[in-house]
Amino acid sequence: MATTALHPAARTYRSTLYEWVTTTDHKKIGVMYLINSFIFFFIGGLLALGVRSELAQPGLQFVTDQVYNELFTMHATFMIFLFIIPILAGFGNFIVPLHIGAPDVAFPRINALSLWLLPMAGLLLLLSFFTGQAPAAGWTSYSPLAQDRPLGSVGPGQDLWIVAVVLVGTSSILGAVNFLVTIFKMRAPGMTLFRMPIMVWTVLVTSVLGLLATPVLTSALIMLFIDRNFGGAFFDPRNGGDAILYQNVFWFYSHPAVYIMVLPAMGIISEVLPVFSRKPLFGYKAFVFATAAIGALGFSVWAHHMFTTGAVYLPFFSLMTFLIAVPTGVKMFNWIFTMWRGQLVLSTPLLFALGFLSMFLIGGINGAFSAAVPVDFALHDTYWVVAHLHYVLFGGSVFGVMAGLYYWFPKMTGRMLSEGLGKIQFVLMFIGFNLTFFPMHQLGLAGMPRRIADYSSTAGWNDLNLLATIGGFTIAASMIPLLWNIFVSLRSGKPAGDDPWEGNTLEWATTSPPPPYNFDHLPEIRSERPLFDQRHGHAAPAATAVIPQSASTSH
Amino acid sequence: MASSPRTGRSSPALFAVVIGAVLILGVIAMVVLGFDPLRVSQGVISSFFPPQAVTDRGEHIRQLYDLVFGIAVVIFFVVEGLIIWTVVRYRRKPGDDELPPQTHGNAVAEVVWTVVPTLIVAVLFVASWLTLNTVDAASAQPQMKVRATAAQFLWSFQYLPNDYDPVTNKDAKPLLEITEPEGPDGGLTLPVGRTIHLYLQSPDVIHAFYVPQFLFKRDVVPGRINSFEFTIKDEDAGGTFHGQCAELCGEGHNKMHFDVHALAGADFDTWLQQKIAAANASPSPPPPQPSGSAGSPPPGASAPPAAAPLSLVAKDIAFDTAALTAPANTPFQIQFDNQDASIPHDVAIHEGSQSGAEVFKGDVVTGPAQKTYDVPPLKAGSYAFFCTIHPNMAGTLTVQ
Repeated sequence: MATTALHPAARTYRSTLYEWVTTTDHKKIGVMYLINSFIFFFIGGLLALGVRSELAQPGLQFVTDQVYNELFTMHATFMIFLFIIPILAGFGNFIVPLHIGAPDVAFPRINALSLWLLPMAGLLLLLSFFTGQAPAAGWTSYSPLAQDRPLGSVGPGQDLWIVAVVLVGTSSILGAVNFLVTIFKMRAPGMTLFRMPIMVWTVLVTSVLGLLATPVLTSALIMLFIDRNFGGAFFDPRNGGDAILYQNVFWFYSHPAVYIMVLPAMGIISEVLPVFSRKPLFGYKAFVFATAAIGALGFSVWAHHMFTTGAVYLPFFSLMTFLIAVPTGVKMFNWIFTMWRGQLVLSTPLLFALGFLSMFLIGGINGAFSAAVPVDFALHDTYWVVAHLHYVLFGGSVFGVMAGLYYWFPKMTGRMLSEGLGKIQFVLMFIGFNLTFFPMHQLGLAGMPRRIADYSSTAGWNDLNLLATIGGFTIAASMIPLLWNIFVSLRSGKPAGDDPWEGNTLEWATTSPPPPYNFDHLPEIRSERPLFDQRHGHAAPAATAVIPQSASTSH
Repeated sequence: MASSPRTGRSSPALFAVVIGAVLILGVIAMVVLGFDPLRVSQGVISSFFPPQAVTDRGEHIRQLYDLVFGIAVVIFFVVEGLIIWTVVRYRRKPGDDELPPQTHGNAVAEVVWTVVPTLIVAVLFVASWLTLNTVDAASAQPQMKVRATAAQFLWSFQYLPNDYDPVTNKDAKPLLEITEPEGPDGGLTLPVGRTIHLYLQSPDVIHAFYVPQFLFKRDVVPGRINSFEFTIKDEDAGGTFHGQCAELCGEGHNKMHFDVHALAGADFDTWLQQKIAAANASPSPPPPQPSGSAGSPPPGASAPPAAAPLSLVAKDIAFDTAALTAPANTPFQIQFDNQDASIPHDVAIHEGSQSGAEVFKGDVVTGPAQKTYDVPPLKAGSYAFFCTIHPNMAGTLTVQ
């Protein structure tokens, strides 16, 4: 089954360009996911700096209104579709087979296809900058603004956007199928569902969400494409279509997508916190059920993005949105009590995990304001919402991504990242993040709408905007120690060894980086912490453990 | 792990001292820099609240906000404090070689932190549902019906007769239309103390009617008439409240501002009568309704003078020509024909380029309609003409 991944040519981890481009090894694919995602993270980040530069002062200093609309549209598109979603899929790719003791994913070639669709989609989006009018209708591309009409979205840029997002969606769907089959069919002997690392559980729930929701987005975008190019009338009221229908269909995907963007980050945190607290995860099963509950409730809250449309049954979506705070709160307390009475080692992965906890908390609390519908009437489409979504997706997901990067970089490369540079990066990013996004709460309360290129100097928004811009550049500065850290560590980092963190899960039972077939032998799996059991003498030593069939036959 | 045991026995007390020192230094810095710490802190606190509401519904929303904010602040400090306390208290210290107790969980604790948050969100939900019923309530017979029309990229306001109904009588002729969205003579002028039912209409894309001091916004959706009701509080008579489009609507999104003026009831009645009388007295016909296709008005009474007027047509958000020529030092006319249904256009002439000094600005015309602009004498030279609402509609006027 998995022999395609174990082609004899795949002898060593570091190999030729050809080897990387043609590989079906989940670890190399995972690493390429990360590299691809980081490239688009930096492109999206540059666009964000453009946005913040323009907003630093009232008046239009750098760009026109049209270019400004393109900036924030493309910023969000790159960050959501080509950074956060893929980078978490990338971590999943690298770590899920290792976590469950499998030699690879179930469909390695499809896995390679999932990866390579992403840079293609990214290139299409970049191409749209050269079509005269890049997409400028927001990452939501609401109809009729995204229709091909004067003062709408004329030209091929918006069509390229649609095709690119459909490609990303296809990648997600294929990836979801791959993860589901891998998790259900390829677990090592002893790895029952309730012994799987929480990271695997979050990828599992994320895959269900992606599989059920992404086709809905794809259909919405294809309908929009037909509207634009073939005279369809799905979403254009001029021709009898319905503008609100697009929003319903779009958010039916895009709200679950928020959980696609944050659940795996929660999974990363749930791996990091126990290891660096030297304790098991508090309330493992509660955690699993909370994850499943978030996934299920995630399908019933899409219209909370549409409270002000006047076309939504408000109490239902308000109730469901409030309810989703409950499983999220359960997770928060379980994380905190994982650390409680532990022995915290304040290494960089833990610092970023703590950043996640404290910032995601704010993202949860300021989200509750919008669940209260009348309050949302005041806050919707203001900078409050910009603050909220960045506290979730940056304070949550990006801090989680950084925790995962520092945690698994040794496993991916065999080298440790520098702790000193990591801490510098954390401090800069933490301060910069809060400087940028906290003042946006106040801007939103003061009435500043999002997606405006300019504001009156008498509106009272000058100082807070300047502060946010300073914060934005601080975040950008925090990327310098990160890049330097990666560069230096790859060349001359401290060798990691198999298990630099005293880890709990199976990836630390193999070499760093792991061989193409992942495991020479597996420790016995009797709990969600097989390595802890082995280290502390609760399990048989590795040498006598069962070797899974697929791995042993492929030597 | 090598890095773990090196930190000294710094206690939580040290942490508290550091935080305290930072706070004290901050206050000293403020005093040194000439800020009054009391006023600054008042400003900081008030920045966490929306502006003072000027409508009855806004007041209810503000009360709900205060409730949510109160609960949020408590949760924030409790949980954030718990995180910080845990991190500071349970750092690994030298000599921590034994494993800490390996607690796997606690069923009672799980139940507690499932039930307590459920109760909290239940309270919040009920509170917001009750408020919602008040905020969204609509009376059978509002005292005033007004319509805001949001077109790319200009607001206009129509004062509707009482028998207007978006379903049964949607073509009722407005009593008055205001096409200038801002300034003392423009915007939406409303009486205080009366129930106002505001209908929202868009001919093109989605916009949103947002007045921060109403603590309220509602989308303006093409193909759909949204509406909401409110009463401006008596004490806000004489006030002007700024509003802005809050839903991305294209290139001119950030220019879609409008003013709401609140007048005492009697003042408002006088204002409305004067405006209606003035509109009826004016020689040129009133601008057509955005929704009406009931025949575009004729060019009007202004007959062409001796010099042949220039012709300029706006269609599909574009002018029919990019070059006009006019004689120097004589007044001339532009016959402007806006053929874009429901879309407002105008013509402005600036010296040199669009950023040059304005020498002429014509009234906004909402299509389909025509208007004859009288342009004052211009010196010979090159001018830019363009639509101020859609600056992409532009051309060069050569005066010779």
